[in-house]
Amino acid sequence: MSSPAIEKALWDEIEYSREKGEALNVKHRSYAGDVWFRFRHKPASLVGLAIIAVIMLFAIFGPMLTPHTYEKQELSFVNIPPRLDIFAMGDAYVYVSRNLKPIHVAEDGTLIAALPRIEEDVSRKVTTYDFYGDPIAVDWGERPPILIGPDGERVEDSVTVHNKIYILGTDKLGRDLLTRLMIGARISLLVAFVAAFTNLIIGILYGGISAYIGGNTDNVMMRIVDVISTIPLTLYVILIMVMLPRDSGIMSIIIALGSVYWVNMARVVRGQILTLKEQDYVHGAKIMGTSTWRILTTHLIPNAMGPIIVTVTMLIPSAIFIEAFMSFIGLGVSPPMASWGTMCNDALEALRTNPYQLFAPSLAICLTMFGFNFVGDGLRDALDPKLRGR
Amino acid sequence: MSKYILKRMGMTLLTLLLVVVLVFFLMHAIPGGPFTAQRELPPEVEAALIAKYNLDESLAVQLLHYIGGLLRGDLGPSFKYPGMSVNDFIREGFPVSAKLGLITVIFVLAASIPLGIVAALKNGKWQDVLTMLLATIGVTIPSFVIATVLMYIFSHRLGWLPAFGLDSPAGYILPVIALGGYSMSFMARLVRSSLLEVLGQDYIRTARAKGLTEYKVVVKHALRNALIPVVTILGPTVAALLTGSFVIEKIFALPGMGKHFVTSITNRDYTTILGITIFYATFLVVMVFVVDMFYVLIDPRIKYE
Repeated sequence: MSSPAIEKALWDEIEYSREKGEALNVKHRSYAGDVWFRFRHKPASLVGLAIIAVIMLFAIFGPMLTPHTYEKQELSFVNIPPRLDIFAMGDAYVYVSRNLKPIHVAEDGTLIAALPRIEEDVSRKVTTYDFYGDPIAVDWGERPPILIGPDGERVEDSVTVHNKIYILGTDKLGRDLLTRLMIGARISLLVAFVAAFTNLIIGILYGGISAYIGGNTDNVMMRIVDVISTIPLTLYVILIMVMLPRDSGIMSIIIALGSVYWVNMARVVRGQILTLKEQDYVHGAKIMGTSTWRILTTHLIPNAMGPIIVTVTMLIPSAIFIEAFMSFIGLGVSPPMASWGTMCNDALEALRTNPYQLFAPSLAICLTMFGFNFVGDGLRDALDPKLRGR
Repeated sequence: MSKYILKRMGMTLLTLLLVVVLVFFLMHAIPGGPFTAQRELPPEVEAALIAKYNLDESLAVQLLHYIGGLLRGDLGPSFKYPGMSVNDFIREGFPVSAKLGLITVIFVLAASIPLGIVAALKNGKWQDVLTMLLATIGVTIPSFVIATVLMYIFSHRLGWLPAFGLDSPAGYILPVIALGGYSMSFMARLVRSSLLEVLGQDYIRTARAKGLTEYKVVVKHALRNALIPVVTILGPTVAALLTGSFVIEKIFALPGMGKHFVTSITNRDYTTILGITIFYATFLVVMVFVVDMFYVLIDPRIKYE
């Protein structure tokens, strides 16, 4: 090993200077910069951040880019999967759907039209359809169904193509799943935003006031929080949503979350403020005649921001979960509005025949939960290194 | 000690009372009475019904009647199913749910504690990484997604396990895994971190220094203290299992209380929703109280003021 050559000039004595003597030869980092430094050194947090960014883009710009709408029903293209096994009759292609309806498909997987039915022979289990003047028949006596061409012969050739029009397929009413997934993403992000907002406003003020005023006020306010938090949030949200009018849809979730979802935050903030309010700078501010409100908003709360941010990022995924849960049991958004929870519920009914309908919404829920949880973990480690690995 | 228990008991009762009052007023906030449903009733029948359920009295008196009914264990009639009372639903569904819940709690404890111990003892090795990866997945993925995916793979695709009902013991496997997945993962993480913390303490070093076997150090010395946090979260775990069971029972079509609850939500059967909510709340609050008392008993370090 050879040590790198040191330039001779470096050994020279340098001129004495007070400023240089005081200067730190380390790059200065702000608090936020420090947090970001610790945050980005954990791959999972960055992956989480990327997932959230992608979902946001998906939710904001996705619906503008698709030619479909979330509510438009295309009843001739019902339950079409994302990948089609199509029969080839020469250069004409026909897809037989799971409802045993033949659909004329282009070679690249574009759905052209559902074929009109001529007659159904129940005893032979054969239905005849009109393929632009030629009769073709679907023999549904066997599984998978057999297509019989205009010449009376069974069509043997088949190819697998991607569905060009509905990339993720359609649901039982012929609605485009991709568009519904995007709208569902909007709902989830809206719920996340509302949850964060209520926590930041009500939770912080409630906890802050309770801790700062203290005494009996604190006692009563915290007993209220105790009472609310003994019962799982889901039960309250169910109760509140049941009471709201049935068609209030997403508003009911927002009201329900807003009314009880801030209790955890209130506790966290109270704990923080209780320790902070005995600090000298708070006493200093008090002596200078600063009002209680001002001490709370300019001195105490900004200093408690670290744990507050961590709590918010941890509460957001559970708010998204609550919305999906409510929609899944039939209390969330009202049809035709799409939410990931309702999409999962719809898919459950047809799980045996159309499993593809389940994958997109469940994957979306899982990815979002992972994204927010990873970011939350990363932020917790970055803001409070003492808690690392818990 | 007794003062602490009394205080906790007082809080528990206060919580229950508040829930009941809240539920009562929510019920009365719904437009229309319970008998203005689909069909027009003859006026004298309606008058008789109103008199029977004290609907002609003031709200305060009605509240007292309602609380009196609750104290006698009467949750009132169903709004949508004539002749059925909320008690009938609970009597029918609770044994099924309780059995499922009990099996799940046993499964959660039996799986999470060994997993957490292995992860802590093999800290940083592949066993640890694998367990924590599984635990992270279990904590993040919602139970209804786990349930539907498990059902698709093991019932529809492979055909190994039944998708519906509890006719055979095999019917319990998927619901128990789906219901307990979250709690199991959460608890495994908790056991791991708390055991890691205990293993770093001085008395463990002393135990090792005097030549005890590793088994004795871990099982007799470390585990006893490491499991205290597990007892604390048993209360919240029961709550998680309870609310989780709504969807699990719906997905696997189990005739438990959760299914009745979800059905009553879909039918807007208000009295049943409220009655079952009160039942759930009571059950939960009592469970949390019992767990708290148990916690005080096993951890002598806790000071109750």
